[in-house]
Amino acid sequence: MSAEPNPHTPEVRLEVSGIRKQFPGVVALDDVSLRLRAGEIHALLGENGAGKSTLIKILTGVYQADEGEIRLDGAPVRFASPRSALAAGISVVHQERNLIPQFTVAENILLERIPTRGLQLVDNAAINRLAKPWIEMVGLDAAPATPVAELSVAQMQLVEIAKALSLQARILLMDEPTAAITPHEVGYLFRILGDLRRRNVALVFVSHKLEEVFELCDRVTVLRDGRNASSDVVVATLDRDQLVTYMIGRAEVIAELPPKPEPGEPVLEVRGLTTDPRDSGISLLLRKGEVLGLYGLVGAGRSRLAKTLVGEIKITGGEVRVRGVKTRINGFREALERHRIGYVSEDRKQEGLILLHSVRANTSITIWRRLRMIGQWIRRAAEDAAILPSLRQLDVKAHSLSQPVGTLSGGNQQKVSIAKWLAAKAEILIIDEPTVGIDIKTKNALHELIWDLAANGKSILLISSDMPEVIRLSDRILVMRNHAIVGDLPNTHQYDAMSEAIMAQLS
Amino acid sequence: MQRLRGVVPGLAVGLLVIDLVGMLVLSVVTPSFLSTYNLFVTGRDLSILLLVALAQMVVLSLGQMNLSIGSIGGLVAIIESGLMVRYGVPVPVALAAGLVLGIACGVINGVLVYWTKINSFVLTLATSYIFAGINLGITHATPFYHIPGEISSFGQARVGAFPVMAAVTIVLTVGLAFFLYQVVLGRQLLAVGGNQLAARLSGLPVRRAVVTAHAISGFLAAVAGTMLMAQLGQGQPTIGATWVLPSFAGPIIGGAALSGGSAPVIGTVLAMVLISLIDDGLVLVNADPFWVQFLIGALILGAVVLGRTRLTEIMAFVLRARPPVREELTR
Repeated sequence: MSAEPNPHTPEVRLEVSGIRKQFPGVVALDDVSLRLRAGEIHALLGENGAGKSTLIKILTGVYQADEGEIRLDGAPVRFASPRSALAAGISVVHQERNLIPQFTVAENILLERIPTRGLQLVDNAAINRLAKPWIEMVGLDAAPATPVAELSVAQMQLVEIAKALSLQARILLMDEPTAAITPHEVGYLFRILGDLRRRNVALVFVSHKLEEVFELCDRVTVLRDGRNASSDVVVATLDRDQLVTYMIGRAEVIAELPPKPEPGEPVLEVRGLTTDPRDSGISLLLRKGEVLGLYGLVGAGRSRLAKTLVGEIKITGGEVRVRGVKTRINGFREALERHRIGYVSEDRKQEGLILLHSVRANTSITIWRRLRMIGQWIRRAAEDAAILPSLRQLDVKAHSLSQPVGTLSGGNQQKVSIAKWLAAKAEILIIDEPTVGIDIKTKNALHELIWDLAANGKSILLISSDMPEVIRLSDRILVMRNHAIVGDLPNTHQYDAMSEAIMAQLS
Repeated sequence: MQRLRGVVPGLAVGLLVIDLVGMLVLSVVTPSFLSTYNLFVTGRDLSILLLVALAQMVVLSLGQMNLSIGSIGGLVAIIESGLMVRYGVPVPVALAAGLVLGIACGVINGVLVYWTKINSFVLTLATSYIFAGINLGITHATPFYHIPGEISSFGQARVGAFPVMAAVTIVLTVGLAFFLYQVVLGRQLLAVGGNQLAARLSGLPVRRAVVTAHAISGFLAAVAGTMLMAQLGQGQPTIGATWVLPSFAGPIIGGAALSGGSAPVIGTVLAMVLISLIDDGLVLVNADPFWVQFLIGALILGAVVLGRTRLTEIMAFVLRARPPVREELTR
């Protein structure tokens, strides 16, 4: 797996070799190497659990390697703590934002170096003055004194990059920076990263989206099961299939989805729905056995629409018909128990699951009331009998029903958060961003699962900002923008034509 | 053990070992530890403080706190004794009124926490002053002496070394465990504690869960207050004044997550046994009474640190020596 010679052979800034890291009972990394060069963007890829996060934590001093060597500019180094890694010029922009929301942009950038005037008084003017150049460098369109809580996710990311730059970062690790931002913002982020590359920063880019790797990155290292599946390969010499083969150990098979019966009678009809005087009114029609895609960027109002349909947000105008009957849905319980509508929320960790609790409790939570015996108690055997079919149908992998759901993989967590609605016999499923942060293998499995559910008569409103996903699964695609539906397209499943048609609706 | 939601098995086993070692050490060092009378007194204190700890555990399992447990216990005790002593109300009626009052105090806490969205720490700190203030206003800090003899003799009753009052505690402890792990409302309560948003999005009645947890907490505090009144033989206004520390120490040493979602009943029982042993040991070795509070504080701090960090890891390591049983769901 030798690297192609690079035309301008830039200096190797960080060289990691023979890294081994063991946790009780599991080897997380074994003989892993990584070579970062100044002025290059290096993609670090791998399925969930392949060891990317562990490697990043070793590079940033959170963990220490059991074996192996890290060389910075040729000299061996050891990072005993995140502080020493920062001091050596290595910064990381995490998937989870590490900002203090109540503090201003400038305060966050200069957090551990707040300038003071005598007596340790905070010098606000100096904070804003000193932070300004970094804010401008990343092109963040916000005043230094803006509280971070008022920014969008993409803007917060820029604040983190500005912070890293202000720390004189010579190596910048970006952990899934595009997971939560819109395509437009991704374009902007890539321009900033391109700028940094020209400034000779060594960048690491972690992503599940291969298209982005091809667009942005110079070289790639792939981890699989804690080992190098490839190391330091020039991206231009690869194609998508090769990259996927590195990642999953075999060629990717995107199975043709089997034919599905034509959608039947309307099950959910919405006409002129408003939740706010500024709304222009939303109308949609979902049929039995249909996958209705709802595509739109983050902030277009998709999740708000979903929450309105399950009664979480009050309706101010328009009408909703479920199976032809005009109705009002007041709250989740009514949505589920009367109308058989389930909502698989976008943020499974925050909204979908109780991570500390068992697979059993997380799945049966929707049917406890139905299961109760005289005296309000639940028989374990009846509970298991009620949930096992759903868990089996979705092929949830767990050691036992008592395993805490937080210890399952992301894909299995997502399956549990769908299984609980199946156990409750929901007929209409509103599924919000089902595959965010989920790796390729599992993503395919989830796609087939959603398809399967529809083929078996469930009606699915699929909310997604993942265009390939929407085009692959939907029967029809609604395009949403600024809290209004701007397009209703029959889906031909032809990616190029469909994606153009969707983008045309958005611009 | 696996059946009990929220129990950290390693922690419980570790606590059990420490409890047994502690008993062994105490019985060797001070032979009077095994005397019938000492076991009776220790067991009786334990029966009361365990209810106090469970009263806190229920609210902790919701991810909240209840700082008013002691003042609910105190208020209930003086209302009950006042009704009986001052107004001659029959014993069962007075006790029933007291328990209803305890539940009502809990419901007030729960409703206020739910409606105002004020942090439960602040809110129950305020209501604890209100409940204690009513207590003081009524009693002017003077106890109600001469409560009916059947109550004080219940407080002293024993079968061998076994305090009869402990039967109440055992029934309530088992009942609480069953409620939390196996009854719909109890499970809903744990689910709300584990992730309130997810619970609400799954259609669970969040308000009912919050109010129920606080009501149970008030009820257990009321029973504990009643039992301490029976033990003392009088309606002491200071009943419950020292309960804050044990109420938190039990569940926290026992493995409760302060963020909510776990209700380690067994862990809390074992932790309270440990605290009673510490308490009793200090008495038996004639520790300077003026330093006892310091020692209890320091020992509990030590137990919390040990229990929450080392012990879990050590026991997890020991228990992992056994291969886990693989039970694939999708055979």
